[in-house]
Amino acid sequence: MDFPGFSLDTSLLEKAKEPEPEVTYDLLILGGGPAAMSAAVYAARKMMKLAIITKDFGGQVRETSEIENWLGFQSINAKDLVDSFEEHVKSFDIPVSLGPSITEVKREADAFKVQTDDIRIYSSRTLILATGKRHRPLNVQGEKELVGRGVAYCATCDAPFFKEKKVVVAGGGNSAFTTAVDLLKVGAEVILVNFIKGWQADEALQERVKQTGKASLLDNHQVIRIEGKDSVTTVVVKNRENEEEKKLDTDGVFVEIGLLPNNESVKNLVELNEQGEVIVDCSCRTSVEGLFGAGDVTTVPHKQIVIAAGEGAKAALSAYNYLINKSLI
Amino acid sequence: MGILKEKDREKLINVFKDIEKDVKIVMFTQEMECPRCEMTRLMLEEVSGLSDKLSLEVHDFVAEADLAKKYGVDKIPATVLLGDMDYGIRFYGVPAGYEFNVLIEDIMDVGKRNPGLSKEVMTELAKVDRPVHMQVLISPT
Repeated sequence: MDFPGFSLDTSLLEKAKEPEPEVTYDLLILGGGPAAMSAAVYAARKMMKLAIITKDFGGQVRETSEIENWLGFQSINAKDLVDSFEEHVKSFDIPVSLGPSITEVKREADAFKVQTDDIRIYSSRTLILATGKRHRPLNVQGEKELVGRGVAYCATCDAPFFKEKKVVVAGGGNSAFTTAVDLLKVGAEVILVNFIKGWQADEALQERVKQTGKASLLDNHQVIRIEGKDSVTTVVVKNRENEEEKKLDTDGVFVEIGLLPNNESVKNLVELNEQGEVIVDCSCRTSVEGLFGAGDVTTVPHKQIVIAAGEGAKAALSAYNYLINKSLI
Repeated sequence: MGILKEKDREKLINVFKDIEKDVKIVMFTQEMECPRCEMTRLMLEEVSGLSDKLSLEVHDFVAEADLAKKYGVDKIPATVLLGDMDYGIRFYGVPAGYEFNVLIEDIMDVGKRNPGLSKEVMTELAKVDRPVHMQVLISPT
């Protein structure tokens, strides 16, 4: 039977297979950034039975624009780079749980159990925790309520919305100043507010912001409230020396006060440092046998894409060696 | 030659392996079939034949008006997906083109008795205590 113009699209059915709760995997990789994706490629090439559990692919790299320190490319678009990572991973036909969050990781007698918020529990003999970091919130009144309506955490994503507007940037480190640079590029008027006295950002970056003459710098001030009905209109700051409060009229607030490790699912299982990072040794081993860590969620210094990718590779090879030594593979 | 291409037929047989529980597809057409009713019926006959967990019932919208009313069907072609209960899933018109993906995904959700929503969303939805009429306007691009 032929019906002109009639077609059936099945493209959505081509998505990756989902992991199966009844299978015990050799390795489950938790996370989807460069560390996790690199681990997946190495593990797949070792023919390990593996699956990935992640909310999305790309991690924090998706929040940046250009990468200028990935070997072999003087400059590469961040999205293009992680898209190519993702394509590489998908060429191995690895089952992926894409979307649900990990709620709990438990160690049982013969396997780790990983529970997700879609009420599934996956089993594996080894785990690689590569869940990365997320932006630290200010935790002040009005912040949660006005997210996406003036409160932002990603200059690459949101700076263009503040063209020629007034914006407060909370923070004093490199990421705060990089955000200020992005905002100044679109003609925004910037007020940097830093909790401590002075500024932590590199001198060169500070100079770049200061020389525009369009940025005001307010150190030793604490953001205490964000106000606005439909969108941000005011940020209330307090001088930490004399306790004086000041209202800053603004169209937006970019929060750049550091990152928090995504450790919630393992914080009762594995040893963490004071910053909440998972403690790993040079073979990516954690305090729990069979549980490996890689990338920004761990104590490895210098949070860089190339370092995360290297750590992911190491973690996969360490997990493989662990299974070989235990005669589990 | 059927409506489904051989490649799509194989893909569907593979996808349908994950169906855990029976799914009944109820389709309304009429004796003097409109072209789109015929398209829908032929397509559903082929699709439902690809898994023993799927069954198809075809009804006459005019002759079986009471049944149509029971399902709230007021136009044809209409496709109803049923599991242990009626989840309110209806397709009007031919679920062809991009919508074919949606039809198959809905069959899978009913077959797994799991809409694929997070626990938090399910908890929130359970709090809805009166009928809510939702209309979603989308653009395919």
